[in-house]
Amino acid sequence: MAKQIHFNKASEMPDVSTSLGDMDWNKTGAWRTQRPFYEDKTPPCSVACPVGNDIAGFIQKIAQGDVEGAWNLVKEENPFPGVCGRVCFHPCESKCNRGRYDEPISIHGLERFVSDFASSLGRKIKKGSGARKEKVAVIGSGPAGLSCAYHLTRLHYEVTVFESSSFTGGMLRIGIPSYRLPKEVLDREISEIETLGVEIRTGIPLGEDLGLDDLRDYQAVFIATGAHRSRGLHIPGEKGRAVLSGLDLLRQINLGKHVRLGDKIAIIGGGNTAIDVARSVIRLGKRATLLYRRSREEMPAFEDEVMEALEEGVKIRYLVNPIRIGQIDGLKRLECLRMELGEKDESGRRRPVPIAGSNFFIEADSVVIAAGEEIEVSFLPRGMERRDGLVLTERDGSTGVKGIFAGGDLTSSQRTVAHAIGSGKKAALAIDCYLRGKDSEEAIRQILIGEGPAISIFRYLHPDERPRSPHVVTFEELNMDYFEPSKRRREPRNPIKKRIRGFGEVTSTFPEGIALEEAERCFSCGRCNECENCYVFCPDASILKREGIFSRQVDYDFCKGCGICFFECPRGAISLQEEAR
Amino acid sequence: MRRVITGNQAVAYGVILSRVDVISAYPITPQTTIVEELSELIGSGRLNTRFLKVESEHSAMAALIGASTGGVRCFTATSSQGLAYMHEMLHWASGARLPIVLVNVNRALAPPWNIWSDQSDSLSQRDTGWIQLYCENNQEVLDTILQAYRIAEAVRLPVMVVLDAYVLSHTSEPVEIPTMEEADSFLPPYRPEHPLHTGQPEAFSMIATPEHFMEFRYKMQKAMEQVPAIAKTVDEEFRSRFGRGYGSIERYGEGEAEVLLITSGTVTSTSRIVIQRLMERGVSVAGIKVKRFRPFPSEEIYEEIRGAKKVAVIDRNLSAGVGGIFAQELRASLYSKEERPQVFGFVSGLGGRDITPELIEEAIRCTIEHHRPEEEILWLGLKR
Repeated sequence: MAKQIHFNKASEMPDVSTSLGDMDWNKTGAWRTQRPFYEDKTPPCSVACPVGNDIAGFIQKIAQGDVEGAWNLVKEENPFPGVCGRVCFHPCESKCNRGRYDEPISIHGLERFVSDFASSLGRKIKKGSGARKEKVAVIGSGPAGLSCAYHLTRLHYEVTVFESSSFTGGMLRIGIPSYRLPKEVLDREISEIETLGVEIRTGIPLGEDLGLDDLRDYQAVFIATGAHRSRGLHIPGEKGRAVLSGLDLLRQINLGKHVRLGDKIAIIGGGNTAIDVARSVIRLGKRATLLYRRSREEMPAFEDEVMEALEEGVKIRYLVNPIRIGQIDGLKRLECLRMELGEKDESGRRRPVPIAGSNFFIEADSVVIAAGEEIEVSFLPRGMERRDGLVLTERDGSTGVKGIFAGGDLTSSQRTVAHAIGSGKKAALAIDCYLRGKDSEEAIRQILIGEGPAISIFRYLHPDERPRSPHVVTFEELNMDYFEPSKRRREPRNPIKKRIRGFGEVTSTFPEGIALEEAERCFSCGRCNECENCYVFCPDASILKREGIFSRQVDYDFCKGCGICFFECPRGAISLQEEAR
Repeated sequence: MRRVITGNQAVAYGVILSRVDVISAYPITPQTTIVEELSELIGSGRLNTRFLKVESEHSAMAALIGASTGGVRCFTATSSQGLAYMHEMLHWASGARLPIVLVNVNRALAPPWNIWSDQSDSLSQRDTGWIQLYCENNQEVLDTILQAYRIAEAVRLPVMVVLDAYVLSHTSEPVEIPTMEEADSFLPPYRPEHPLHTGQPEAFSMIATPEHFMEFRYKMQKAMEQVPAIAKTVDEEFRSRFGRGYGSIERYGEGEAEVLLITSGTVTSTSRIVIQRLMERGVSVAGIKVKRFRPFPSEEIYEEIRGAKKVAVIDRNLSAGVGGIFAQELRASLYSKEERPQVFGFVSGLGGRDITPELIEEAIRCTIEHHRPEEEILWLGLKR
C-alpha cells in the first residue's frame, strides 16, 4: 500500500496534479453513514409456489446457458418438473413481478423445458452418499407419496412405497389425461425416483393386505392415499345405468381401457375433473356438454383449460342444476333447474339459487358426474383425527398417531399436484426431524420461503449456502430503467383439428433458443445475477468480484455509502442500512 | 502566396498550417465560417484532422481537454455566449496546463441580443489563466495562430487569439499565406512533455488538498511570467522568417509625444490614420497598440509612456462599475511606478457601434485639452 505523498517545495511537484501513487492509504469508507450489502431476497414467484421451487434460481441458470444446472436446482425441491411444467396451475406466474410491467414469465414453460431438455441428455439425479439406519414406509405412490419418498431418500433413509393399485403415480396417472401429461413424462420422473433407491411395491392396498402391524420394521409412516371416491350428487337416478363418475371414466380412459359411451355426453360439474372428462370424450369422437350450476367466473377449473375445452368444441351451460336423472327412449333425461346467483357463500363465490318453476330437460346418451372427490377413510388407522372430510395434521404433516404422518389430497382441500408435492416434501423434513429427535417447527421456520408456507429442502441440506431474506421483493423495489418490454413466449400449440383427433399433447416444449429468450426476461427479483450494474456504477470502485458465497462484495475500506449501487440495482439484490456507530 | 481572404478564412489557414490534430467546436455567429471552412476541408479529406462534433461549447473544450491530455495539438473557435458557456472548461484547460489554441471572434454578450463586435466576451475570461492575443488585421490573425502554438507549447498554457467580429471576421483583405514547408520550419510538431501511455494508466487533474493546491497556482503564475520572453523570441524568429512581427505592443506616431493613445484590435488601424493626420497638423501625439492582454505587458507599456503627460485609452468593453478594462489594467500597472501619466479612460464602440476617426480625434483632443479626466469613464459616441 502506497503512502500519502507530501511535497515540501513547489519545484519538486509536477506542473499538473497527476497520480504519482495510489490512494489506498485513504480509507474513505470511514466517511460512510449508510452501508450497502448484498442480500438475496425472496422473489414473489417462489412464495406463491406450493412446491417451494427456486424459480429465480433455475431460470437464472437457463439464462446463463446452464440447463443442466437449472435441472439440478429444480430437482433439489421437486422430483416432478416435467409433470409440474405441464399440469401445475402455476400460481407463481400470477405473482410474477414482470406481470406488472408487461407479461409474466412463462415459468411453467421453462420448468417443462428444463425437465425435457435434461432427459434428452440422459441426465440422472445423483444419489446422495451416506445412509441412515431408519426405514420409512410411504403409503400411496401419488405426487405426495413419491415427493416424500424422494426427499427422504435424499436425506439418506431407506424408503418403501406401498401402492394399492397395480400402477404408480396415483392421480397423476389416472386423473390427468395424456394430452396434458404424457405417460412417458410421468414414467420418466417416477423412474428417476426409483433410480435414487426408492422401492415401490404395487398392488398392496392399505387395510386389506397391509396393516399397521405389518409396518413394524418401519420407524415412520407417511400416508398419502389421496381422494379417489367420487362425490355423489344425491339426486334420484344417479345410480342408474349409463351414469358414470368422472374419475372412474378418466381412470378407464387414462389406463387405455375400452369405454362404452353414447355419442352425446352430459357432464355435471365445473371443476378440473369435469373439464378433463369433457376434453377426453371429445377426443373419443363424442359430443360433450358441461352443466355447471354457477357462472364462468365461479368455475373452479383452471382458466386456460376452460379456454382450450371451448376451443375444442366442449359446450358449457352455466347456471344449470340437474335435480333428477331419468330415462326416455333409451336416452338419459336430466331434469334441470335454472339458477341465479345470490349472496356470497363461505368460499367467497356467489351461491347459486334455483329459480322456482324453471324446470327443463336435457337429453344425453351418457351422464357423467364430476362433482368432486372425497377421501377413503375405512382403512385409516385409529387415532387419526378427521375434520370436514380431511385427515387433520399439524403443519409438518404429523398426525395424532406417533410416527405417522399424512399429506396430499388426504389432508388438504387444495387438490393440486403442487400442493401434494409440497406436503410430501414437508413431511419428509418432519420425519427426518422426528427420527433425529429435532424440533420440526423450528427446522421449518428456518427454511420457509418468505413467510411460507412452502419450504426449501435445499437450504435444509445446505445450511451454509448464502442466506436469503424472507422479504418478498415488490415491483416497486425493482428498477425498470434496465428492462425493455418484451413479449412472453408461448409454447407451440397444435391446431385444434389435430388436437381433438387423439390424446397427443396439446402444446409442445419450448425449443432451446426460445427458452433462453424467455429466461432472459426474468427480473431475477432480489437475486443477484452478476449483471455488473453495481460494478459499473460504483464511483469508488468498491465492488469486489470474489470467490465465495457472494460473488460480489462491497469493499468497506473505500465504500462511502453513496447508495448508488442500491438505487441502480435492477432487481433489489442490494440492501442499504444505516451504519452502526 | 498572397490571397484576398476574410479574417475567418485567415484563421482557417492558420489552423491548417499549424497541422492541428483535433478540432472540436460548436457553431456561433460570427465564428461559424471558421468551423465551416475547416469541417469542409476535413469532410472532403483534404485536411487530415479529427473533428469532434459536440452539442455545446462546454463540451467542445472538454473534448479538447481530453485530446490535449492525450498529447495532440488542438484547436477550437467560438464567440460571445459560446465562450461564456465554455468558462468552466477554460479554467480547466489552463489549470491542467494544456497548450490549446482558441480563436474568439469578439462579439458583445447579451442581453440585449447583439451579434456585433466588442471585447466583453474575451475580457470576461481574463482571469481564466489563458494567454490573450488581440489582432488588428487578417494577416496578423494568421500569423498569430502560428505563434500561439509555439508559445502555448513552450509554457504549457492555452492561448486565446482574438479578432473583431465582421470588421475582420467577414471582411476580406490581402493576406500573405506561408507555404506548408515554411510553416513547418517555424512550428515543429507538438511533443508533449508528459505523453500518455495506455500501458501506464494515470489520473490527471484530480484533487489537490490545501497542502498542495497553492503551489500549482504558483507554478502557473511562473509559467505566465515566462510568456513575455518566450513570446518575444518567437516573434523575432517569425519576423526573421516571414518579415512580419508584432511584439506584445507596438508604438507608432511621434517619438516624444505628450499624449499617447492606447488601443487594441481594429480600432488601432483607424487610430493610425487619425494620429498621422493630427501629427501633420502639428499635434504631439503617438499611439500604442496592445496586442497581448494576458499576461499584461506592464513593463513594455511603461517604457513607452513614462515620458508622456497623459494617456488616452479607448476600451471597446465595459466592466460595469469600473469602466474600460484596458484602462483599469493600465492604471493598476502604473500605481507602483514613479512616473504616472494621467489616464483618460474612454469607453466606446460597444455592441459593434463604429469607432470613427472623428470619435478617436475627439478622444485625443479631450485628453489634450483637460489637465485630468473629468470623469472616471469618458463615454465616447454615446447618445446621452
